[in-house]
Formats: sequence, C-alpha cells, structure tokens
Amino acid sequence: MAVQTEALMTTTVTNRRPGPSRLAARAVAAAPLVAVLFLLPLKSDTFGHVAAYAAIFVMVGLSMNVLTGYTGQISLGHQAFVGLGALTAANVVSTGVTPADPFTFAIGMLTAAAAAGAAALLLGAVALRIRGLYLALVTLVFGSVFADAIFTLPSLNGHEAGVSAYRPTFISSEYRYYLFALAMVAICYYIDVRVRKSKVGRGLVALRDNELVAAAFGVDVLRYKLLGFTISGAMAGLAGGVFAFWSQEFSDKDFTAIAGFNLALTFVVVVVVGGLANRGGVMGAGAFFALVSPISPLLQWVADKTHWGTYYGNNKFYIANVIGAVLLLQTVILNPGGLGQVIRPFARWFAGHPFTLHDPDGDAGVGAMEGSSVRA
Amino acid sequence: MSVLEVRDLTIKFGGLTAIDGLNLRVDEWEIVGLMGPNGAGKTTAFNCITGFYKPTHGTVYYRDREVTKLPPHRKAALGIGRTFQNVGMVKSETALENLLTAQHTRAGYGSLQAIAGVSTVRQREKELTAHAEAILDLLGLADIRDRRIGALPYGTLKLLELGCALATDPDVLLLDEPSSGMGPEESDQLGERLLNLRQELGVTMLLIEHHVPLVTAVCDYVYVLNFGKLLAEGDPDHVRNHPEVVAAYLGGEAPDALAQTETPEDEPPADEIAPADAPVQRKSAARAPRKATGATKKAPAKKTPAKRAAARKEAS
Repeated sequence: MAVQTEALMTTTVTNRRPGPSRLAARAVAAAPLVAVLFLLPLKSDTFGHVAAYAAIFVMVGLSMNVLTGYTGQISLGHQAFVGLGALTAANVVSTGVTPADPFTFAIGMLTAAAAAGAAALLLGAVALRIRGLYLALVTLVFGSVFADAIFTLPSLNGHEAGVSAYRPTFISSEYRYYLFALAMVAICYYIDVRVRKSKVGRGLVALRDNELVAAAFGVDVLRYKLLGFTISGAMAGLAGGVFAFWSQEFSDKDFTAIAGFNLALTFVVVVVVGGLANRGGVMGAGAFFALVSPISPLLQWVADKTHWGTYYGNNKFYIANVIGAVLLLQTVILNPGGLGQVIRPFARWFAGHPFTLHDPDGDAGVGAMEGSSVRA
Repeated sequence: MSVLEVRDLTIKFGGLTAIDGLNLRVDEWEIVGLMGPNGAGKTTAFNCITGFYKPTHGTVYYRDREVTKLPPHRKAALGIGRTFQNVGMVKSETALENLLTAQHTRAGYGSLQAIAGVSTVRQREKELTAHAEAILDLLGLADIRDRRIGALPYGTLKLLELGCALATDPDVLLLDEPSSGMGPEESDQLGERLLNLRQELGVTMLLIEHHVPLVTAVCDYVYVLNFGKLLAEGDPDHVRNHPEVVAAYLGGEAPDALAQTETPEDEPPADEIAPADAPVQRKSAARAPRKATGATKKAPAKKTPAKRAAARKEAS
C-alpha cells in the first residue's frame, strides 16, 4: 500500500493528496493561523470582540466581491445595506433589556438579509442603465440619502437613544459571539463559492466583461445585474445583523454622515486591495481593515510600545484611512491582482500543490486579469 | 418552412439608413452567405436579427414565429446563435469556462438551486463540462482547455468562438466573418469544418464572409448587400460574377466585358433575378442532393448529447 502511494507521489508531481510528511508541513504552517483565529479570541475578550468585528468586515468583503468583483458594478453606498441590516435585526428582535430569544434572533437575521437584499434590488434597478462614474455617484448618493433618511426616523432608531440588541444567552460571551460570526462568514463564503462554480457566477462575470457577449450566450443581462445586487445586498444585510448584536445596539450614528461615508470608502478599498473577484484576498483585506480600524486595540498596542501612544489616540480615526489610501495606491500601481495575487502561491501550496512563485497556469494571476477588466 | 426569414427590414440611425428594405431567407440545413463591401450593413443586419438592434421597420421570423422584438438572450435561448466580428468571448476566463458560460440556457437548474448547491447542480455541472470538452475535442482545441483566452492567437480565438456559439446549442448559427485572421489553408479547413458541423449537428448557418473561395465552397446561396440594400442574390458562382457585385467591390461602373466573358450562358441575366420577397427559385444543382440527404441529420449526431433539433420540433 505504502509502495503504491510512493509510486503515485513520484509520477504525478501535482498530486492533490500530499503524503504524510507534506501534510505535516502544512499542519505546522497552519498552526499559527489557527492559534490567531481561535486561541487568541478565547484568551482575550478584547481580541474576541475585535475578531468578531473582523468577521463582519469579511462578510461585507464577500458581499462587495459578488457585486464589484464578479458583476463589475461599483457601490459607494454599501454602508446603507449594512446599516439597514443592523436596523432591521435590532428592531425585529427588539430585545429591550433582556437577552434575545434564539428563535426571534434567527428571524431577525433572516429579515436583516431580506430587507437589505430588497434595498439593493431597488438600487440595482436604478443602476441598470448607468455605468462607470455615474453609477459611482448614484450609489454614493443612494447610500448617504437612504441612511440619513431612514436611519434617523425616531421610531426606528430608538428616538436617537439607539435600539438595544442583547445577544441570546447561548452566544453572549465575546468568544461565542465570535464563533457565531464565523458561522455567518461560512454561510457567505458558501454562497460565494456556489455562485462562482455555477452558471450564476459565469453569467455575472460574462456580463461584467462584455454585456453583448453575455446576451449572445443567453444571459439575461438585466436580470443578472439585479441578481448580483440582491445577493450582495443580502450578504451585507446579514453582516449588519451580526453587527447590531456585536455592538449590542443599533445606533444610526454608526452609518450616517461622515461615519457612514467612511465605512463605504473602506468597503471599496477592501475589495480593491483584496483583489477583484478574489475571494481569499478580499476576506484577508476585510479582516485587515477591521484590525486597523479605530475600534481595534491592535494599532493602539503597537503605538504604545513605540511611544506614539498619545499621538495615535488623538488621530486614530484618520490612521486607518491613511493606511487604506496607501494600500490602494500600491495595489492600483504595482499589484493590480491585490492581496489575492500575493497569497495565491501559498493558497495553492495549502491545496496540495508544490510550492512555486511562478504560476503554473501560465498567466499573470487571476486577479490581474480580472481586475483589469472592471470598469469602475 | 424557412428557419430564418427577414422581411422588409429597415433600420435608421438618425438620418442614416443603414439597412433599407432587406429581405432574406435561410432554409433548413442551408449555409447562406451574406456579402458586401465594408459598411454595407451586414453586421447591422446580424444585430437586428439577433435582437441587439431594434429595426425601424420590418419583421424577423424564426421558424414562422415573429421574433423581431425579442431581446438577445431570448433569441439565444430559442436557438439563434451568433459570433461577433471581433471575437465575442469572456476575456478573463479560460477556454473551458467560456464554453461553460455559453451553455447558460441549457444549464437546467435555477439560480436559487445553484446558490443552495443542490445535488442536481453538481450533476449538471459535470455534464456541462463533459459537453464543453466534447466541443473542444471536436474542434481540435483540447490542449487549450485551461488556458486563459486573453493570450491566445486570433485564429484560435475565432475557432473557439465558433465552439462557444455551438455550445449555446444553436438551431441556426450566425457567423460574423469566421475566417478573419486565418490564412488560406486554415480558411479551407474552416470550410470543411463548417460542412462537417452541418452534417453532424444539423446546424443551419448564415455567415458574413469576404473570403470568396470559402463562400464558394460552403454556401448554398448568397446575398450581397451594398449601402444597406440588397444588390444581388443567387448561388455563389452566379453572384461572384454578377457585374454589379464586382463593381461594388472594386468600384466604378460594372465592367460589361468581364461580366459577359465570365458569366456562364445558362445563368439568368442580372435583371431577371427573382425579388427576395417572392418565393425564390433557387436553381443550384448542388442544393438538391443536400436537401435530399436531410434524413441523415436525424440520425444520432456524433458529438451532441442532446438531439436538440428533433426535440425542438416536437415542442413546437
């Protein structure tokens, strides 16, 4: 038996089932990753809190991946969908001062996704006939007007005091809530994979590249654009629902005015820096931007160690934007495939292929090819 | 019954009449050529037939059903496949992915099923992949299966695009300059390929083509457009020597001497060519045996898993 495996190993270099030693190497490499993902949040509540926030950003990243990466439509108003999800979940569950009942909580999450999906469908219907700069402007206006008009209604935002959203008892600790957020990430990830591996994703990518060709292939371009907006909106809404119970309240101030605009910009930066149409890259970028956000203790910790603590504390709301701007420039000019292109060799290695920096598919990388064709 | 019929088609862009009263007909199992100098309106005619442009006036019939106003994707689903002048494929995808994308309407599952990932989807995806690989084999392109198409040479792209058009499972195929970017030898091969495709898959074709040897070799009937109007029609040999066609391509007056020396005596003179809206008497001897062998196309096609043509007939 062992001899046979040996023979197989030597004949096919790109065997997808690595032998025991190769598996061990991958396990060793994965260990720090697992430690960061699971042990750190378990040991530290602060880190658990931030990790759950990162999971929410990862979900929004996947949502942007479907819309901008696959469908090729830009959205500068995505904070409205996240906010609408948060608002819906908080109001549907309406916990008051007691923990949410698990069943109502589940309904709240579902309605959050449904409401944001419907709102995205509405925006998609407006966006059908416009593209490029005009689409960017329309989504920007949609996002801020929608947020400012709906989220500030006193009956929906708890008369400006916020709508409380206490977690159900079974996920009330920071670590457990983080695991719940990871499960929601898994759902979004699954949907993203299913989209990409079926006619849905192929139709979306086809219409992104060339609407005429897509139509000649039988893709209903209008319907599929709306579908792209709806899937993306629903994911963002789910992320919003998770956000509401993460912060344990819905406050309109998180999504309106400059805070909302800041979020919208960050989401766009996440999808570009992550690599357009690159699932892994976008997820990584989403987590990264959550970790450098003002609520994260990570940069504060680094600043304290380097005696820049006070300076960082005074300016932390701008630091993340500066990092985002620098990374955006770096991506656009030097590395159009984004983070996804950078981590691709490692991802391939983990999937069981031999490690090589040279891409065996003989092209410049998926992100580079796909990214160049997105008209934003 | 005609597969495709265009009656009195007119399209105007502002003050420009791009096509003026075009009539043409494509019968079952025919390969019909559409020729004409640059700017004659050939591609515009394709765009009207396939629904990308809305004609100002006139009707398009597909198997006696009026389809003038149907959007392109509906026509593709009906079985009107097309290729583009400048290669219409998804640039960021591989050859295989393009062939899968082209099978969009025959995927056989809904988008919600796809997102849920039910087992039918996985099963159908395997079948679609097998079909795409069969098309790659048929065209001799198996070695570019996983190549991203952005880097492929133009001739290969045109061939792969033909494969994508086949993958949409067409009943009638509109090919826009399939031989562009090909040398004389490749173009000869393409001619044989088109004839084989008709033989094996029973596809009817309408093609825009400038390469005269190819047109002569494959077409049963040819229409010539000039400045949006039908200039001549008939079998390829006839049209090739038609004085007005020669004049349209080369410019100037119709050279009488050329026309007289090269037109065979049994051909009807130019002014006796039947108008396109009347039932056309097509005299080509080559057509008759081809039509007579129509039964062979009902035999199991070698490469198509679904005997689509027969099924479609039963459905209608």
